[in-house]
Amino acid sequence: MDTSDFGRFSDPALLILTSLAGGEKHGYAMMEDIEAMTGVHLGPGTLYGALSRLEQSGLIQAMPADERRRPYQLTAQGTAFLRQYLASLKNFVSLGLMRLGA
Amino acid sequence: MMWAKVRPWLTSLYPRAWRDRYAAEFDVLLEQCLHSPLDVVDVFLGAVDAHLQLLNGDNLSWRMMNMLNKLRTTLLMVFTAFIGFIVAGFSLVGLADDSPMIPLMKTNLALAAAWTIIQIGSVVALLAVVVGGLPLALTVLRRALAGDRRSRGLLLVPVVSFLALLLYLAFVFLVGSGRLLIPGVVQVVQAGNFPAGNRLMMEGLMLVFILGAIASTWAVWKAISSTDTEQATFHAVGSNLTVNIYKFAFVPARIATYTMLVMLVATLAWGWLSFSALPGVFTGNFGPWGTSTQAWFSGILVLMLACTLVAFFGLRRARSARIQPEHGV
Repeated sequence: MDTSDFGRFSDPALLILTSLAGGEKHGYAMMEDIEAMTGVHLGPGTLYGALSRLEQSGLIQAMPADERRRPYQLTAQGTAFLRQYLASLKNFVSLGLMRLGA
Repeated sequence: MMWAKVRPWLTSLYPRAWRDRYAAEFDVLLEQCLHSPLDVVDVFLGAVDAHLQLLNGDNLSWRMMNMLNKLRTTLLMVFTAFIGFIVAGFSLVGLADDSPMIPLMKTNLALAAAWTIIQIGSVVALLAVVVGGLPLALTVLRRALAGDRRSRGLLLVPVVSFLALLLYLAFVFLVGSGRLLIPGVVQVVQAGNFPAGNRLMMEGLMLVFILGAIASTWAVWKAISSTDTEQATFHAVGSNLTVNIYKFAFVPARIATYTMLVMLVATLAWGWLSFSALPGVFTGNFGPWGTSTQAWFSGILVLMLACTLVAFFGLRRARSARIQPEHGV
């Protein structure tokens, strides 16, 4: 799995995965969490575009509906993917910072 | 507040397959966060993206969801056709009831055989619909019991319709048995003389039945249309039984459709045999409440034909949507 699979939704997809890493959430709770976490406001169309792709890819899964809202949670595959991606990002950040320092 | 009016329109921009899966929760989200023209543009772009994603056809999940929708619509079409057929069947019973065709069936074997085929057909079609729809009904019921208020409301519609019909039948029984006296309604109706009060009471019964059938069919459509589950697991005799509810329902749907065709042919034969034996009955007014026999019978045939065509059209639609076995559905 590569983030390029998500097209223009690649960044929102990572934001959603990171948000869900903190626990299950429904759409609006994700939007608020992402805004609080990064200052990025995801529009509803963008959020659900990314959500549907993530669900189809098996990285997240829908939980039983709570009234009309439906919470989502990370799957084991999604957790592994996020962990791997963040680790590679960490290496990249370290390398970049090292070069800047050098 | 002004965005509330565009919300349903914005959701309707998305493809059907997408809406079936996400519309309910997406609408809740829009209620909470649709505040500016930028949000509207974002939703618009999201809808365009969803269409492109579907058109690309490179995603198996989307294709499967689309096929699943077609299969689900087929089952609902067969179910609706069956309900229409029931209405036609009851009308046929109303036509034959107390008519000279009933004593004739005791001596005319061909006529009796046609009537028996109609009766057997109605039992077979009913069983097919019940068996095929059972896993689907249990899935909707399970969701309703799990706290989905909308599903609960929709499931109440058939129950309330049935209770209304029972209540009205009890009222007719009380009037018929003389326990309740209504001005203008007589207890025993003489042949050829159907008082206006009695006619109104029976028209009311038919209205309650037809409105109940329409409301119940609509509620079942809505409840099943929003069921995104493909598989359901049931606990049976100490073991778990996983059923693909749409694939499971397809064979009974086919049985119900072909049974409707057989019943249509049997009804046509019954009418033709009755007309041959008693031409006067068809030119007379032996329909319910003294109405024209010919008009009633023609109406019944047209309704049966329309329902059978709808069911066959549904099956044909499903045939084009059948998911390849290797995809596991």
